[in-house]
Amino acid sequence: MNEDISRLMDGELEDDGAVDRTLAGLRQDGAMATWMCYHVIGDTLRGDVTPATRVSRRLAAALADEPTVLAPQRRVDRPATWAWAMAATVAAVAVVGWTAVSLTDTPASTVALAREAASLRADSLRPQVIPAEYLMAHREISPTTPIQGLGPIQRVSVSGDAAIAR
Amino acid sequence: MRLGIPAMRRTVASFVAGAALALAVPAVAQDATALLGRAADAARTLNYTGTIVYQRASGVETARLIHVNDGGEEYEKLFNLDGPAREVIRRDGEVRCYYPDAKVVRVEPRTFRNAFPSLSPQQLSSLGQYYTVRKGGISRVAGLEAQAWTFEPKDGMRYGHELWTDPTTGILLKARMLNERGEVVEQIAFLDIVLGAKIGPDAAKPTWPVSPPDWQVRRPRTGKAVESETGWTVSKLPPGFTKVMESRLGGRGGKTDGAAQLVYSDGIVAVSVFIDQRGGPQRHVGRARQGGLNQYSVKQDDYVITALGEAPPDAVQAIASSVTRR
Repeated sequence: MNEDISRLMDGELEDDGAVDRTLAGLRQDGAMATWMCYHVIGDTLRGDVTPATRVSRRLAAALADEPTVLAPQRRVDRPATWAWAMAATVAAVAVVGWTAVSLTDTPASTVALAREAASLRADSLRPQVIPAEYLMAHREISPTTPIQGLGPIQRVSVSGDAAIAR
Repeated sequence: MRLGIPAMRRTVASFVAGAALALAVPAVAQDATALLGRAADAARTLNYTGTIVYQRASGVETARLIHVNDGGEEYEKLFNLDGPAREVIRRDGEVRCYYPDAKVVRVEPRTFRNAFPSLSPQQLSSLGQYYTVRKGGISRVAGLEAQAWTFEPKDGMRYGHELWTDPTTGILLKARMLNERGEVVEQIAFLDIVLGAKIGPDAAKPTWPVSPPDWQVRRPRTGKAVESETGWTVSKLPPGFTKVMESRLGGRGGKTDGAAQLVYSDGIVAVSVFIDQRGGPQRHVGRARQGGLNQYSVKQDDYVITALGEAPPDAVQAIASSVTRR
């Protein structure tokens, strides 16, 4: 089931039947926590951890109101950077550990699930990153850049490990 | 893992148009624009050294900054004070990032300065139309008496800003971006600063040779943006945003068709829209965030469209989702 949930999120389920079955499965005990926990990991890997607490609410609303929008999107290419996959394991475990404290509406088992997910599925956790090329091109034109001096470059350079790996 | 759920769309705060566009630009908005221009000039023309702290929800970074203006030429050195050593040197029209642990120098053919065009009268008035601009009190920042300014958004399509400037030189000492709940999404400030230091270009020299012999020098193939018609447009722009640039990113090797970049601004921040063929740098769809920067990517036929800017997630999503062929 966990595998199906993950594939659902990644848009990798083979057909509509599988999507329907997995969605139905979400009503089972624990499945919802897994689903949520994967999203928490995704959110935290993508950037800041603050959205995490909103995930369950957003998700509940999404499931209640618009089940059809869960239909998977066509699969996108995997990133070519291996560096992020490695970083993902570390980041997910560290961040999920921290997040567990702040999640008031999550069962305790979610933490264990999250750890498991983080370590076992690091290769499939695909953090959303802002491509360095875009970041640079944007920073060059953004009016906040001249005001903030070198701040933007600081950001690029400190988070530049990903860029180095390219 | 990707959060491929368009349902995450939240209700976009609908913009309530104010009274008819005021003919005269409000004085405080004029002040505020002068303030932004002055801050940019001061950062470019003064000599200063200081410690910078950069903070976002996920952590704090500190760095040391040395800026020299020697007869109109700028020399800048920035290195971080925590984590693996990183050093950024800006001089001679390029930026070099040193990564001593990896023995890599990354050379960016960009200067990150002054690419933003001057504000048009229309944008000047829109500042006051989309933000409530207030001159705040005096408080201490980096040991100096600083003048506070607030830009409070009037709709959900932009973040709030708080700025603190040095009244004498106009240089920006602290800047904050706040979300709709008043939470700080990103903050950058000088912890200490020495203004008008008597230093020359040597003070901003890299710790290592320009290109250390046993290091790898990497030059990303990303070229400069070349202004041109792209054939793309954004059909549903959030109010107050106007196009300030349209270009193609050149010199990416192999590909003749560089990504299109459209830039929209409300006078305070900018949102870039990148339209790239599949196989470009953006391989994901959905949202991403880095401090006050939000990104939203969506696929359209053979293209991946990405909106990226210092605006709330809803704003970048609205922009990315309404890109069309002109």
